[in-house]
Formats: sequence, C-alpha cells, structure tokens
Amino acid sequence: MTAPARFDELIHPATRLSIVGLLASADWTDFAFVRDRLGLSDSALSKQFATLEDAGYIVIERPVSNRRRRVRVRLTDAGAKAFEGHVAALRAVIASAERAAAKR
Amino acid sequence: MPQDLSESEAQLALGSIEHRRRQVIAEIDMPRWYWWGLAAGWIGLGVLADLDHPWLTLAVTLCFGAAHASVASHVLSGRHRSQQLSVRADVVDPHIPALVIGFLLLMVAATVVLALVANADGARHPSIMASVAVAIVVLFCGPALMAAVRRRLAHRVVA
Repeated sequence: MTAPARFDELIHPATRLSIVGLLASADWTDFAFVRDRLGLSDSALSKQFATLEDAGYIVIERPVSNRRRRVRVRLTDAGAKAFEGHVAALRAVIASAERAAAKR
Repeated sequence: MPQDLSESEAQLALGSIEHRRRQVIAEIDMPRWYWWGLAAGWIGLGVLADLDHPWLTLAVTLCFGAAHASVASHVLSGRHRSQQLSVRADVVDPHIPALVIGFLLLMVAATVVLALVANADGARHPSIMASVAVAIVVLFCGPALMAAVRRRLAHRVVA
C-alpha cells in the first residue's frame, strides 16, 4: 500500500473498519458473507453499508442469479484509496511512537 | 493525523484489518464439486481403460480434458470457491493454477505406474484399481494442498 497517510474518521470505528477490511481483499462480497463474519444483524449491517455508500466508499449491487436476488458489495476506488490512506496513517502513528521510544 | 490516537489503538486497528484479510484468505479454494468431479472422472476413465476399447478411452479422455480446461480458467485461481465472494487477484497466490496442474500431472503419472504394477502383478482390473486409489488421493490431497497454500498466505499477512 503506497497511498499517502490520511486518517479517515469514517472508516476508523471498529465495525466499519472490519467491513472495509473485508471488502479491501475482495473484488466483491455477498451481503451474507460480511454479516456472518462480523456477527451483525441485517439491519445493523445495512446501516453501516448506507453510511459507507453515502460517502462513496462502497457500491451495492443487486444482481439476479439462479432466480435469487443477491446483494453484492464492493469497494469503490475512492473507498480503496481512503482505506489505504487510513492504514498508512495507522502505521505512521506506530512508527512515530517507536521513534519516540527509541529516543528515550 | 489524530493527536489522540495511541500506539496501542493503532496496533489494535491494524490487527483487526489483518484478521479480516485472513478471513478472506480462508475462502481461497476450489469449489467442492471440482475435486469430486475430478475423482469421478478419474474412476470413469479407469473403468473405460479396463473395458479395452482404446479409441473410446482416447475420445472420452480428450472430452474429459476439454471439460476440465473449460472450467479450469474459472476455478483454478482459487478465487471463486463459493458464490459469496470473489477474492482479489493480488490476495491469492498467482502460482496456484500451476501448483494444481503440477499435482494433477503427478497423479496421472502415479495412475500409470500403479496400473502397470497391478497389471504386472496379474490383477484383473489394473486400471480400475489404480484410478480408484488415485481418485482417493485426489479427494484428500487436493483440498490439503489448498489448505497449505492458505496457511502460507495467512502467515504472510501484514496490513
């Protein structure tokens, strides 16, 4: 990850960080996959998805396969960039703490 | 940069991200039907070989190879085990298809050697014996091979 460090207040809360962390390793995931891995209810996950979708970080698609309507979620380029920047910011916090400890 | 974020909070957040990445890596595999289909095809070809119709065996072997080639492009990457997600290409090991093909070639060689040994030993159905034995190995070792790949990928995860 080479994005410039930028702490993202929207991504940082634990649940959204977990959601984006999952989505960042996949082209797309099914709604149920995220729900089951995070142990959230449908409504709680929908709320988090709505927040991320409003920010332009994810796209929610509803393809029909085997006559079943599915809900697929994927990270947008903006979402991926924000996530990379957030990870870089977290690393920077750790690096600066380690530098400070080394000086002491 | 948030001034109030401590090192331990940042570590915790990175740990959570790594955990989620490992959860996606845990999904890297072939669909279950792939290994069962291979094993069934293997036994089918063994039965055909013992029926002593070389042209029929050759034709069915070619059909089996073509069928395998048609699904291989989709499943051999290990990114589409289920319909629940598609793992990103840069998360999976790019050598998985070569690894699986190498494993299958090894199994083909093992089948031929086993059949020749069984034939030399006077077995009535050497090809069936060899193909059943190798089909069992494929069923167990195929998924085990993928599990080893997943363990290696998970070990390398750093957010």
